[in-house]
Amino acid sequence: MNISGETGSGDHRAPGKQAGTEHAAFSALLEDSAEDLYEHAPCGYLSTLMDGTIAKINTTLLDWLGHERGDLVGRRTFSDLLTVGGRLYHETHFAPLLRIQGEVSGIALELRTTDGGRLPVLVTSTVKTGDDGRPLLIRTTVFDARDRRAYETELLRARRQAEREREELMRLNATLQQTLLPPTLVNVPGLDVAAYYHVASTDMVGGDFYDLFPLSAGTWGLFLGDVCGKGAAAAAVTSLARYTLRAAAVYDPDPAAVLSNLNTVLNHEYNGHDPRFCTVVFGLLTPEGEHGGFRITLASGGHPPALLLHADGSVDQVDTPGGQLIGVLPDAHIATATVHLAAGDTLLLYTDGLTEARQARTGDGDRYGDEALLHFARALAPTTASDAVAAIRDLLDTFGTGIDDDTAVLAINVPRPTNEEQQ
Amino acid sequence: MNLLAVQTRTTPAGPVVELTGELDYDSCAQVRELLPALALQAGQQLVVDLTGVTFCDSSGITALLAARNHALAARADIALAAVPAHLGRIFHMVGLDQVFSTHPTAQAAEAAWSPPAARP
Repeated sequence: MNISGETGSGDHRAPGKQAGTEHAAFSALLEDSAEDLYEHAPCGYLSTLMDGTIAKINTTLLDWLGHERGDLVGRRTFSDLLTVGGRLYHETHFAPLLRIQGEVSGIALELRTTDGGRLPVLVTSTVKTGDDGRPLLIRTTVFDARDRRAYETELLRARRQAEREREELMRLNATLQQTLLPPTLVNVPGLDVAAYYHVASTDMVGGDFYDLFPLSAGTWGLFLGDVCGKGAAAAAVTSLARYTLRAAAVYDPDPAAVLSNLNTVLNHEYNGHDPRFCTVVFGLLTPEGEHGGFRITLASGGHPPALLLHADGSVDQVDTPGGQLIGVLPDAHIATATVHLAAGDTLLLYTDGLTEARQARTGDGDRYGDEALLHFARALAPTTASDAVAAIRDLLDTFGTGIDDDTAVLAINVPRPTNEEQQ
Repeated sequence: MNLLAVQTRTTPAGPVVELTGELDYDSCAQVRELLPALALQAGQQLVVDLTGVTFCDSSGITALLAARNHALAARADIALAAVPAHLGRIFHMVGLDQVFSTHPTAQAAEAAWSPPAARP
């Protein structure tokens, strides 16, 4: 009871005592002289003559630098307080600008401390003029920028690290992309071959793939395809598709059987909420006759039709109607077509990155389209493998950033006999 | 850049998802993320209304296939409504016209649906 009574009486007196304390604190504020405010302000103050000689300096700045007032006033210039780099900047930029403008604000400089350290600061100066407008002296405020500098350094470090990581990612993407493509195309006797892979983004691995490789008994296999999506997940499917196609072709080179096998593998591997599929065209090349030329059986799983550019300048789409995407349905239908590639004929396989490119010329986001490509091929025929690929490459260049998706192109051509060329 | 608008409504036959804009790599995630939230019961029909779809690439097709897998997993059906001509060509090329049943409008898709109890 006693204790609580004392506490009670204490509480009772409190309002009067509190008011007294507040009043005293407020008075202390009022008594704070301008001189004290100058000396112990939370920033450095410095006044110099027009030649830079220090005329007045506050205690805060002296404490930061470790100097005694007597060492500086009338003896040293503001420039003397700076680092070598800072002094150079002061002479060439800061001082001339101050003379012209009468004011310079927020310049980052470094001051030297007596213990050999450096103090990053932000400096603002104004020129005080007399009644006649003549400059009298320079007033300078100095803000401690250590925290800010540390923050900037950290930002810079983080940015450099981000740039390094981005470069690393681009390098990894490029490497991964390369592993999905044959380093060089094999040499097929009696056939000219050219291929091109256009990378749409260095940040994301694309899902296009192609290959040309020998099979038994003088036959050759080729394929070109496009896995849906992009990035690492698509690259994994691309890799699986590529190796499955190569292995399946050795086991049974019938093109429809090869794609059926791939369909089964992908369908087992990827189902449910993250379906993965590809469109692909697989071709079996068999040399025929004494006149050169090849019979090509193409099987397509939902892939855009190959173009056959004849020696006489005509162009056919190699239609494989009814062929379905590979990997989605347990029993995808695969359509086949057989074409003959005679001397001067070129077969062009491509992925839809080409036909789905936005056209820079029209600017309204119109896609290039199958019809436009057909017209392009008609203007191109007759051609050779390397010329066809070069022309597509130039065409892709005209789309610029309009290409959202990677594009793969593979062209095969039976060269005309040399004696015919000479005629 | 977000160029796809997705709207969902519910009918007695099942949910109708209306897509407007470009269905591509950048936008297909919107459709796929929406799927688990759809109230789709066994025997119902999920209708994807493609009236306003201006572009569809392989990623867009993936989204539609994910929708199909989702419907099949729920023992429901899926139908596409108002497939624009350019999409029809792509669907034909990749053989999906044999996989999805299509209707001229979402209403027609709804009318074609019959409740499980009424089926023979």
